[in-house]
Amino acid sequence: MRSILATFWAEILKIRKSRIFLMSLLISFFIPLMMGFLMFVVKNPELSSKLGIVSTKASMFGKADWPTYFGLLTEGIAGIGALGFAFVTSWVFGREYSDRTVTDLLALPVSRSSIVLSKFMVVVLWCAFLSLIFFVFGLFVGVVVNVSGWSGEIALLAANRFAVTSFLTILLCTPIAFFASYGRGYLPPMGFAIATLIAAQFIGILGLAPYFPWAIPVTYSTVGTGSSQIGVISFGILFITCIVGCLATFAWWRFADQT
Amino acid sequence: MDEVILTRNVSKYYGKVRAVDGISLSVRKGEIYGCIGLNGAGKTTMIRLLLGMIHPTAGASFVCGKQVHSGNHDLWKNIGYLVETPHSYPDLTVRENLEIVRRLRFISDKKSVDAVMNKLQLGPYAERKAKHLSLGNAQRLGLAKALLHNPEILILDEPTNGMDPAGIVEIRNLLRTLASDHGVTIFISSHILGEISKLTTRIGIIHEGRLIQEVDTNQLDRLRRKRLLLNTFDNIAAQALLRTQGYPVNVSEEGTLEVTSQHAIDHPEAISTLLVQAGLPPTLLRVDEESLESYFLRVIGMLGGVK
Repeated sequence: MRSILATFWAEILKIRKSRIFLMSLLISFFIPLMMGFLMFVVKNPELSSKLGIVSTKASMFGKADWPTYFGLLTEGIAGIGALGFAFVTSWVFGREYSDRTVTDLLALPVSRSSIVLSKFMVVVLWCAFLSLIFFVFGLFVGVVVNVSGWSGEIALLAANRFAVTSFLTILLCTPIAFFASYGRGYLPPMGFAIATLIAAQFIGILGLAPYFPWAIPVTYSTVGTGSSQIGVISFGILFITCIVGCLATFAWWRFADQT
Repeated sequence: MDEVILTRNVSKYYGKVRAVDGISLSVRKGEIYGCIGLNGAGKTTMIRLLLGMIHPTAGASFVCGKQVHSGNHDLWKNIGYLVETPHSYPDLTVRENLEIVRRLRFISDKKSVDAVMNKLQLGPYAERKAKHLSLGNAQRLGLAKALLHNPEILILDEPTNGMDPAGIVEIRNLLRTLASDHGVTIFISSHILGEISKLTTRIGIIHEGRLIQEVDTNQLDRLRRKRLLLNTFDNIAAQALLRTQGYPVNVSEEGTLEVTSQHAIDHPEAISTLLVQAGLPPTLLRVDEESLESYFLRVIGMLGGVK
């Protein structure tokens, strides 16, 4: 426990003092703002003719009501959020290699497992915090834009779906942590994250999204729209992916040569 | 138990590359052991093996009688280390970087950070971010992290890298004091024999992954080649004279006469007398000692030449 507290404290200090943390907060504010803007464009068709491509994108949503807007936020966390979480994880694990500080962590009285566990803990907290900002600020923007069709029931359902989608997306950070450690930096995990997002698109076209871990959160985000086929098997696949990523990361830190 | 650090036939291969090949060495308590070799000789690999950062292909390393492996984290309580160029968290200040080490080493004394900063002259830079430190001060910060917990064993890779001459002397004195007054055992690597010879009590020369020679530093003098260099107004006659007296004489690269006989080296005055009596008074008479660098290159050259 003492090891976990010490390593967790160190990880929090590193994050608190980094610019990346501030940047991630700004992005979490910016994206709901853009989504609210799209709603605003849908609500004000007279703007569409002046905005070209933005109006084309906005017109895809059809209505500027709360269910549509919540859906947009939830898909946002599963898509853009996944990339953001991947970046957070890449930074937490990969920066030790990029900054070459990893050697300072390898021969200490704290176990390497404590270090990895603390890193996972801060990744989860950081990503959950970003999700919270994303959703709460999204709500605020929706109110400001005056999106129609609000009801407490819809909001509760949407909040629940958003939270589960966000949780599922965070679970996929563990393979990213492995690739950041194995690849010793930021690029390999980010490459992996982008590749999985692209692959998810193609696999979605083939109708196999419920069985591809990186397509499952976004598929889940559409639950209730009639297009989702998420079931126990999908959750099982996603959890197994998470556990494999987790174990691989622990094993890498514990057993691999750290050159 | 006297041997604080011990390796038994330890090897590390990367595919066909033998980074470290069957090295067995031991370092006694309070000893300063210098590991010297060319770049890529295997020094850093050796240090990483001692710190459990890489797994040996064969053999084993022991610290305080316990076998080194990555899961044995209790082993590192009393060990301070520095591997290659030290790196710190660039956005954290010197104090914050040390505070992290203090916490991770479970040091309850909060003043230990100030103490080690004072010891390494880092006080004025306490609130400076690590990314804004000079190379020398970054090195000091790396050493401060290694010394923060007053370890009984120090494993240091090129500890004075990037330091100015005053800093090198200061660190040398600090390490000497730690060994002599506090019984700290120090394993240090460098590619600068001159620096190592001034600090260590024993030297191991590593070449192409193998330990090719171990020598007590105070024996270095005996092992370095000596020669008597001399010049006269007629070197040809002087050479002939000395040869008739049984002294092997060569002409050095500089054109002076070079006598390698031990008697001539021990008694240059006898050679001088001989030359003067033959009407060939020496214009130069000097016992020349092989430099440490030449000695080192000769030793590694003996086994396949410098690569």
